Amino acid sequence: MLVLQNLSNALILACTYILMAAGLTMVYGVLKVLHIAHASVYTVGAFVGVLAFSRVGNFWVALAIAMLVSGVFGVLIYRSTYFYLLNSPRTVPLIASVGMFVMFTDLLQKPFLMGAYQRAFPAGGAGLPAIKTALFSFTPKQVLILLVAIILLAIVYLILTRTKLGLSWQAASMDREMASAVGINLNQSIAANFFLGSALAGAAGVLVGVYNNSVFATMGDLPSYKAFIIIVLGGMGSLPGAILASLILAIVENFLVASIGYVLPRDSIAFLVLILMLMFRPNGLLGRE
Amino acid sequence: MKHKLSFLLIALTIFSLILAGCAPQPTPTAVVEQPAQTEAPQATEAPQMTEAPATEAPQITETTVAEEPAAPSGEPIKIGFFSPTTGFAAADGTSALQSAQLAVKIVNERGGVLGRPLELVYYDDAAKPDQASAIARKLIEQDKVVAAISGSYSGATRAAAPIFQEAGIPMLAAYAIHPEITKTGNMIYRIGTLATTQGRVGAELVGKVMNLKKVAILTIDNDFGISLTEGFKQHAAEIGLEIVLEEKYPLGETEFRPIIGKIKASGAEVVYATGYYNEAANLVSQARDEGLEIPIIGQEGYDSPKFIELAGEAAEGVIITTDLNRDSERPMTRLFLEQYEATYGEKADMVGASAFDAIMVLAYAINTAGSTDPLAIVKAISELKNFEDVASGPFWYYTPEREVVRPISSQIVRNGAFHLYHEFTDEALVKP
Repeated sequence: MLVLQNLSNALILACTYILMAAGLTMVYGVLKVLHIAHASVYTVGAFVGVLAFSRVGNFWVALAIAMLVSGVFGVLIYRSTYFYLLNSPRTVPLIASVGMFVMFTDLLQKPFLMGAYQRAFPAGGAGLPAIKTALFSFTPKQVLILLVAIILLAIVYLILTRTKLGLSWQAASMDREMASAVGINLNQSIAANFFLGSALAGAAGVLVGVYNNSVFATMGDLPSYKAFIIIVLGGMGSLPGAILASLILAIVENFLVASIGYVLPRDSIAFLVLILMLMFRPNGLLGRE
Repeated sequence: MKHKLSFLLIALTIFSLILAGCAPQPTPTAVVEQPAQTEAPQATEAPQMTEAPATEAPQITETTVAEEPAAPSGEPIKIGFFSPTTGFAAADGTSALQSAQLAVKIVNERGGVLGRPLELVYYDDAAKPDQASAIARKLIEQDKVVAAISGSYSGATRAAAPIFQEAGIPMLAAYAIHPEITKTGNMIYRIGTLATTQGRVGAELVGKVMNLKKVAILTIDNDFGISLTEGFKQHAAEIGLEIVLEEKYPLGETEFRPIIGKIKASGAEVVYATGYYNEAANLVSQARDEGLEIPIIGQEGYDSPKFIELAGEAAEGVIITTDLNRDSERPMTRLFLEQYEATYGEKADMVGASAFDAIMVLAYAINTAGSTDPLAIVKAISELKNFEDVASGPFWYYTPEREVVRPISSQIVRNGAFHLYHEFTDEALVKP
C-alpha cells in the first residue's frame, strides 16, 4: 500500500521531469545544443504564471499565458544567440547557454523582477477533484499535474508524428544541411521547435510552482542539471528515452528515500545514475549508435 | 562515438564549474546609510523612549533627555555587515540587510553613537564561507570598521569569526546559531539563541507543555539542523521522550512524501522538524495532503511570514520556538515590526529582528564604552543587563561564553499569523 502510494507520488514527480526534459530533448534533437538556459525559461514560465494568476485568478488562463510567454522567450534566446553559433564547435553554444542561464538567474533575482523572496502560487488543484482509492491517492494538485502532462505530451506526440512540422524536425535532426537542401525552411522549423519546447518548460515551471506553492528566482538551478542528466540517460534527443529516464529517476529517488532515507541528497542520485549509465550504456537507454 | 563522449565530458566539466562557482564575487557595494541630519525625531518613537526605565537602559535616557536629539555629525562610525543577498539564501540575507539598515536609520535619528553617525558597510557573501572570509579581511583592512555583524548562515559566519578575532575586531553573529561560532574567542558575540538551547526548549515544549511522548525527528542536514537536534535529543532523554524515528534531509529538499509515509507508519505523536521556511512549507503542506495530522514542531527557521504564505491552510496549528514574540507589547518589538513593514512593504521575520538587534546592541555598547576601542565595546556588551532596546528582547545578560540569556517564546500559527503559545522564562532552561 505504501509502495503504491510511493509509486503514485513518483509518477507525479516524473511528470514534472518529463515536461522539462521533453523540451530540452526536442531542442537537442534539432540543434545538437545542450540548452542549459532552458532552466531559465522554466523559471520565467513559473514567474509569468504566478503574475498572471494573481491578476486573472484562473489557473488555465495563467498556464496559457505562461506557456505563450515562455515560448516567445525561448525563440528570442534562439534568435539572439544560438542562431549565430550554429556552425561553431558544439562547446561554443553550450558555454553561451551556461552564461545566459547564470545571467538570467541573477537578473530575475533583482528586486524589480522576482526579488529574493519566494512567492506563493495558490492555484490549488484548479478545482479538480482528488482521486482516492484504498491503495493509493492523488491530491487535486497531483491530478492537475498528471492531467496537464498527459494533454501536453499527447499534443507533442501528435505534432511530432502527424504534421509536416514534426517531419521537418526529424529531418533536421538527421542532417541539417540536407534538410534545407530539400526545401525545408530551417529557420522557421527551428523557431517553432524552440517555441514548443520552451512552452513545455514554462508549463513545467507553472506546475512545479503550483505543486510546491512557491516560485523563486533560483528555482531553475535544480532542473538545469537534472533535465540535462535525463536527456543523457534517455539517449540524447530521444523523446521516449527522456520519458523513460524521467520515470526511472523519479521512482529511484522516491524509493531510495523511502527505504534508506536521505543517505545522500536526493538530487545527487541523478548524478549517480548518470555515472553508472555512462559506464555501462554510454548511448543512453534508448539512444542510437 | 568517441566524439560524443568527449563532448559529454566537456559539458560535465563546464557544468560542475557553474555549480561550484557561479556565485558572484563579493561586490564592493558599500551601502552608505546617510544619517537623516535635517529630520526632526519622529513623533511615533517618542512614547517608547520615555517608557523605558532609566535603570535598565541608560543610553536611551541620554538621548531622550534632550527633546530633539542633536543630529549626529563628524566622521561616521563604520560597522561592517555581510549577508547573502544573492544565491539560495537571498531571502534571509535581504531581510537581515534591510533590518540592519532600518536599525541604523533609527540609531541615527536618535542622534547616532557618540554624537557621530553610524554607517553600514555592506557586502554580499552569498552564504559562502570563502566569500565571507574574503569579506572579513576587506572589512578589517580596507574599510577599517569598528565592529562587524554577520547577517549570514553558520558556515559563512564560522569562516569569518576567526579573522575578526585575530584582528581584535568585535563581531556579532545575528542569527547564525552554530555553537562553535562564539567559541572562537572573546571578540565574538551572538544575538540569536544557541541552537542546542533552542533544541532543548523544543523538547521541553513537546514533553512538558504539550504532554506528548513519541517523537519523530526530521533534521535538515547542516550545522543549524544538527545542532538543534542535538539539543533536542539531549533534553528528550532527560525528560523521557521516546524517539520513534529519526531522519535527515538535505537543504532545499522539496519532496517529503516518502518520509511522511515513514512517519505515519512509525506511530509518532508529534514531529520535531528542523529546517527553514521553504522546506518547512513543503513539509507541512505535504504532510497534511498525505493525511498526517499530528502536531509539527519547528523552530526559528520557520519564523517568516513567507512560511504561512507558502504553506497556507496547512500552516495552521504549527508551533515553533523562536526569539521574536509577535504578540509582545514591548515598544521596541512593535517599533521594529511596524517600521519594517512600513519601510519595505513586507512583514518582518526573525532573521531580520536578529540583525536589527545586533545594530542596537552595538550602538548601545559603543555609547556605553564611550569610545570605539574594541575591548571597551566587548566589555560593554558583556556587562549588559536587562537590555530592552531590542526587538527580540529583553536580553537579560550575556554568559561568559558570550551567549545571550533571555526568554524564549513559542508561537503557534492561528488564522494566518504567528501568535504566542507559551513563553519559557525558566532561567535554567533558556540559559545556554
